[in-house]
Amino acid sequence: MNFKRRIALAAAALALVTGTAFAQGKDKVVLLLNWYTYSEHAPFYLGKARGYFDAENIDLDIQEGRGSGVTVQAVAAGTATFGYADVPTMMRAASKGAPVIAVGVALQTSPMSVMGFCEKNIRKPEDIKGKTVAVTPGDSMSQIWPLFLKKTGLKQDDFKQVAGDAQTKLNAVINGQADLLLGYVMDQAIKLQDATHKQVCPIRFADYGVNMVSSGIIVQKDLLKTKPDMVKRFLRAATRALEESAKDPAAAIDAMLKANPKSGVRDTALIGMKETARLYKGPDNPNDKPLRVGAKNMAETLQLLVDYGGLDKASAGKPEDYYTNAYLP
Amino acid sequence: MRQGWLRRTLFSAWARPVILVLLLIALWELVIRLFRIPPYLIPAPEAVVKQLVEQWPTLLQQSIPTTLATLGGFAMSIAVGIPLALVIAYSRTVESYVYPLLVFSQSVPKIAIAPLFVVWFGFGIIPKVISAFMLGFFPIVVSTVMGFKSVDPDMLDLARSMKASRLETFMRISLPQAMPSIFAGLKVSITLAVVGAVVGEFVGSNSGLGYLLQIANGTFDLPLMFAALTVLSGIGVLLFVIVDVVERWMIPWHASHRNDFAATA
Repeated sequence: MNFKRRIALAAAALALVTGTAFAQGKDKVVLLLNWYTYSEHAPFYLGKARGYFDAENIDLDIQEGRGSGVTVQAVAAGTATFGYADVPTMMRAASKGAPVIAVGVALQTSPMSVMGFCEKNIRKPEDIKGKTVAVTPGDSMSQIWPLFLKKTGLKQDDFKQVAGDAQTKLNAVINGQADLLLGYVMDQAIKLQDATHKQVCPIRFADYGVNMVSSGIIVQKDLLKTKPDMVKRFLRAATRALEESAKDPAAAIDAMLKANPKSGVRDTALIGMKETARLYKGPDNPNDKPLRVGAKNMAETLQLLVDYGGLDKASAGKPEDYYTNAYLP
Repeated sequence: MRQGWLRRTLFSAWARPVILVLLLIALWELVIRLFRIPPYLIPAPEAVVKQLVEQWPTLLQQSIPTTLATLGGFAMSIAVGIPLALVIAYSRTVESYVYPLLVFSQSVPKIAIAPLFVVWFGFGIIPKVISAFMLGFFPIVVSTVMGFKSVDPDMLDLARSMKASRLETFMRISLPQAMPSIFAGLKVSITLAVVGAVVGEFVGSNSGLGYLLQIANGTFDLPLMFAALTVLSGIGVLLFVIVDVVERWMIPWHASHRNDFAATA
């Protein structure tokens, strides 16, 4: 084969590939997750596998993330169409001028908890006294932690605190350098269990009056004006994906593991998916479809962020500045 | 007369980098204004300066643990690197065993194994020092080996013909001739040690500029983040200058420190 023919062949192949992508006329959409894939993200993989997004004419590309903060910045800058990120983190960025808004809140009850191995017998806030807690400085949990302490009557000097990044926190508890860590019930709890095969007992912030929304779907504000129909179609598919995953968590986990075999161990990921589905409903809207968040819940979240989460009162604004239910089915 | 003074100031060695920095800051401001880059992506220079001034006590306080970890890692790099390099330079057997392994170890991404340092050595200063050491010691080894290997063989022959002892040969010929290379390695090492210390602080630490960077990142406080980065770079420059001064003091005879060279450099 001579050089000209090779070029012609390569061009033909390229045309074929791009041709098929464009021929269908689908909206190419990038969903940037908040973290490396784990059970919480399974619904999106289910929606993709079962063609929910295809049916809405959306060609979904799921990308793993490196923290909610980065995801929010990427969506604000237009690098990703949709982001799956911690909504309070997004609110912090939005109050600093990032043009982003939540169009659906997935986790409406906080998954935040302080957790350790059950064998250490730390089940109530009072048990934390005298123990060592590992936190990641600057993340959402470490910012809400003082509120949990206040609500439970604990003081900072009742226990020892060590700081490290996400992996260090897990390592510290696994190796006994810390007794507890701040983590999500369906994330770190599962990771600790997978690594050690020991039971993990979380103390949930939500059980002690800390009501705050967590992960949600975010977009650049401009997108609501330029492609409102596409946002609606995406959210229809996403809602369906969340509903079906709550009904059939095993199918969701299987879809996730098929797309990304390294994202978890089936048994524990399944527990994680079930835990995630429990958080789809907020305290004030038990009968709503998933992703539709209650006004009171969002108002409380904003208030907590102003009081504890490093959000300036002056630039805080109203809860409606940060979310809308208008594009949900 | 006055113009001459102005010209001398403008073109003096210390003013040049300052002028370049000012130009770069102006360019930074210009790019932000021209392309309307929003502050949540890149902060404006004046916001960074404001944070530098307002948060100065915090920044200064957090610089101490980072500097200590850097110096600890640098000291360890010297203590391990130079003797190791000596052995490698003088023994082909050791070289053949150790050198490839050393290069191999250097290619391991430190950031990937840094979380393990906390597991092995706990929280506190030790994992940071080790992280700084891991990044800092390799340039010292490579430059020192090169320094001792490039000693003029004629000089060694001369020493032998004059019946100098091994120690005398080492102290009077090999070491002085290797010194410039060793210092070149030390200078690279000290800047890398700063990076290593911050990597250590990212991974697990209750204090330091790396810790502050993490918090600033979490709250989207980009001005504070850039302010911390500025202080961090300042520490790097300061430590580099100190090594440079020590070098001038120890090997004033070397070509790189002669005035005629400095003037044209």
